[in-house]
Amino acid sequence: MPPDSNAVEIRDLVKTFGTFVAVDHVNLEVRRGEIFGFLGPNGAGKSTTIRMLCGLLKPTSGSATVGGLDIATQSEAVKHNIGYMSQRFSLYDDLSVEENIDFFSGIYNVPRARRAERKDYVLRMAGIEERRSSLTALLSGGWKQRLALGCAILHEPPILFLDEPTSGVDPIARRTFWDLIYQLSASGHTVFVSTHYMDEAEYCHRLALMYRGKVIALGTPAELKNSLASHNLFHLEVSDLLGAMNTLEKIPGLSEIAVFGGGLHVTAADATRAVPEMRSTLERAGISVPILEPIQPSMEDVFVAMIEDEERKIA
Amino acid sequence: MRERLLCIIRKEFRQALREPRMRSMLFIPPLVQLFVFGFAVNLDVDHATLAWMDGDRSYQSRELLAAFQGSGRFEVVAEPANDREVQQLLDASRADLVVRVLPGFERDLARGRSTSVQVLINGTNSNTASIVSSYASSIITDFASQVMQERNRELLSARQVAAPVSFHVPQLKLQSRVWFNPDLLSRNYFVPGIVVNIIMLITLMLTAMAIVREKEIGTMEQLMVTPIRPIELMLGKTLPFALVGLVDTVLVIIAALLLFHVPFRGSVLLLFFCAVLFLMTSLGAGIFISTISQTQQQAMMTTFLFFQPCFLLSGFAFPVRNMPDSVQYLTYLDPVRYFMEIVRGVFLKGSGVSVLWPQMLALAIFGVVILTLSSLRFRKRLD
Amino acid sequence: MSVRRLMAVTKKELLHIVRDVRSLALALALPLVMLLLFGYALTLDVDRIPTYVYDQDHTPESRELIDQFRGSRYFQLREAINNYKTAERGIDKSAILLSIVVPRYYSRHLLSGDEADVQLLVDGSDSNTASIALGYADAVIESYSAQLRSNAQVRRGGQPMRVPVDPRIRVWYNSDLKSKNFIVPGLIAVTMMIIASMLSSLTIAREWENGTMEQLLSTPVRPGELVLGKLLAYFALGLADMAISIIVGVFIFQVPFRGNAGFLLFTSCLFLFGALSWGIFLSATARTQLMAFQMGMLSSFLPGYLLSGFIYSIHNMPRIIQIVSYIVPARYFVTILNGVFLKGVGYRILWLEVLMLAIYAGLVFWGASRKMRLKVA
Repeated sequence: MPPDSNAVEIRDLVKTFGTFVAVDHVNLEVRRGEIFGFLGPNGAGKSTTIRMLCGLLKPTSGSATVGGLDIATQSEAVKHNIGYMSQRFSLYDDLSVEENIDFFSGIYNVPRARRAERKDYVLRMAGIEERRSSLTALLSGGWKQRLALGCAILHEPPILFLDEPTSGVDPIARRTFWDLIYQLSASGHTVFVSTHYMDEAEYCHRLALMYRGKVIALGTPAELKNSLASHNLFHLEVSDLLGAMNTLEKIPGLSEIAVFGGGLHVTAADATRAVPEMRSTLERAGISVPILEPIQPSMEDVFVAMIEDEERKIA
Repeated sequence: MRERLLCIIRKEFRQALREPRMRSMLFIPPLVQLFVFGFAVNLDVDHATLAWMDGDRSYQSRELLAAFQGSGRFEVVAEPANDREVQQLLDASRADLVVRVLPGFERDLARGRSTSVQVLINGTNSNTASIVSSYASSIITDFASQVMQERNRELLSARQVAAPVSFHVPQLKLQSRVWFNPDLLSRNYFVPGIVVNIIMLITLMLTAMAIVREKEIGTMEQLMVTPIRPIELMLGKTLPFALVGLVDTVLVIIAALLLFHVPFRGSVLLLFFCAVLFLMTSLGAGIFISTISQTQQQAMMTTFLFFQPCFLLSGFAFPVRNMPDSVQYLTYLDPVRYFMEIVRGVFLKGSGVSVLWPQMLALAIFGVVILTLSSLRFRKRLD
Repeated sequence: MSVRRLMAVTKKELLHIVRDVRSLALALALPLVMLLLFGYALTLDVDRIPTYVYDQDHTPESRELIDQFRGSRYFQLREAINNYKTAERGIDKSAILLSIVVPRYYSRHLLSGDEADVQLLVDGSDSNTASIALGYADAVIESYSAQLRSNAQVRRGGQPMRVPVDPRIRVWYNSDLKSKNFIVPGLIAVTMMIIASMLSSLTIAREWENGTMEQLLSTPVRPGELVLGKLLAYFALGLADMAISIIVGVFIFQVPFRGNAGFLLFTSCLFLFGALSWGIFLSATARTQLMAFQMGMLSSFLPGYLLSGFIYSIHNMPRIIQIVSYIVPARYFVTILNGVFLKGVGYRILWLEVLMLAIYAGLVFWGASRKMRLKVA
């Protein structure tokens, strides 16, 4: 890899399936050593983008480089430099843990001398040393996930593509998994990870928000949140959730009224006017408001706000 | 290259041989197929069921019956008394043929008049029917010429011819010499053909299914992002099945020789070499099918739709020679046809390369073309 | 049993079938391809037997004999050869099936009234064709011999000699002895076995492989409903295949249909029900689709093809195989099909076959539901 290049560079990448535009002129750069999050609802085009970067799909137009190598013309060379883990569990259920590891070491041409060491590392990392000879089918979801990650990094690839790696795994296993991603990043790997869990987005160094094939926002989690600074976000707890929503919708200057946990999140254009107005209107409707306070937006709020903005642009 | 290839092969064997049930599925079906095919596929007519309807009940009619029974080809199963019973026998397929001697048979013979014997044949199975018909007519004709000779002898002795004239009747005698399969056992013809059937079905299906299965469960995607080359992946997925196919071939040939006592007159090495040539085609077709199928069910149906015509047009049961001319030309495009000819040639005729080289050449061409085509289609891409 | 749940399963299964256009097309194309092959191309009927003639005698008599063969539509005389080597080569390369050799002193023997030999060299490797060819050759020689005798008699001033006994052969049901007439009806049974063994045998195995079975099991659907629901969907497909086979067989290949259509429909449904239940039974037993398919091939397609009497007559098989064939439902169905198509018979003759099909269908359906229940538990 040329020393100063970005790990991934995407220029005007387009992928269409028939008339459906899955990826629509995407431009991105991922720096080396970064954990880059790819955020967006299902069907936004995240997997399609990742699959193009891994050489599994041919771009309709545009170009991209991975580790400085062109994905259209050097896709085989790209494959030496990447590890890939898809949202579906894709190891062999009918092979044992060790046999799976041995198989992928062979496929990735891990030098014979390093194999035992890599195998131990993966077993240790995934925490499945004791289950090394059991059939993969018998492992639980979290273990399978970690084993799949282990198999994807056997050849120590500088760049890792993880496509919704934690879908369908319990929160504790997810947490453990992200610890692994941090370790990998700390040891110099670039990690390109897609997810639709908002809390995971917070763990990333930088994020791209994808919606309907387009990247609609790009930046660090803090930057993205700051972009909502013009929006004043309030948290309300009310006695009648549904009644409150209906009432608030009639007030001009309020937007993005969404249920959040047991309360409501509301964005207001003018904070000083909105607070008394909300309180009085609700109380007039016979709804008590024990809590009404300004809050810092979470990733989920950013996500919802940006998508609603995008929807408004389209409409 | 070698490293990655071995790796895939090892994995393939592990998966195929891990489960006892799957293990047995690789080797038992061929043997069962051989057994069933070997015993069931038989077009010989040994004991045709005969219903005897004697309207004369005379010495001569009993002689004719004895001629039928003595031929060893007929078994008298009923003696119907009237037309209704005849109808029922044929309707229920209890008799293959009904032979009916009319009243006055002996009298007509004695008076030197021409008489006839009615033969009703159940034609539902046209093959059995035409064989039965030719047996029956040859028995009756033989009987007739015996009667005629006796009559001539009687005439001679009655005349008390004085002069030593030898009264000769011109007579033709057919001397047939049957080569390669003197007892005309259809088993000898079919059993070698079964070898072709088995080696083709097992390799074609295992290859097509094994690749599509990885597509279905998602592991193919994982393999595609690795640096493995398409050719390595292809060879890795096919070589194990080629080996299984060859082991099955040997197993089936040994069983065929032990169980059915089929003659094997040619060279084992030649047969083996040709089997390898044929495997190129069959594995290549398996890969090709896998590249055009998304699910195992599709792969299976496509395999079947490909296999069935190839097999039927190969001349296994239905001789190519009997097909309409246009279809005969079509069979030149059927690789199985050539292998069928080779296997039968090696087993029954002991043919060698000097006779079989055109077939071997054809197989080699097919193999190279199909393998090339499928490796061109076999990409490491999802679209 | 809830009709609504049953219909839900059937509808889902039908959607699977219709969505997978490729498999559907293949399922409908298969009977067509088989029919076309058997209707046009594949036949056991032997004619135009390629033949060499080796005439060592070269006399008017020998030529007359050869003309007898030339006149028969069963023989196709390729070329005259002048040594055994060529005949041998021809048979080795399968260029010919038969060589007629007229020995050197043929005419001398014939004229002196001795027995004159005619030699036939036959490639016996295909025993069926060979024995039919021998039968034809025998008939040609036999009738020519009778003609010669009669002529000799006339020359001697007697009456033309009449053959004392003349076989009058009549063939019932299939008077032209066309193999397609018995193969096409039997093909219906074979096609349905394929649908059963290839499609329905996968249906449950696939749900296990894809994990959707767990989802289904968490609903109140009962095993019997699941089995019946899946069965009904494939039943529709099987009936469509049957309709195709019958229409093409009767209208394009002109196979005679002499029986009752209602009877045919009823027995086909019975057979299909049993065959599909067996497929589902296998599916519930096997863990993977590959295994289900292998088992389907072995237990329904192969016996349906070989042990049903469809082409190969059961009567000629060894005793043990004959006994095995009694548990092959296709055997009864092929008998029914031949009876309905060619003979025009019905219940009165075929009641036993119908009864056997009914028993088989009932037993296997019960077995399949039970297997499902056990697997669920």
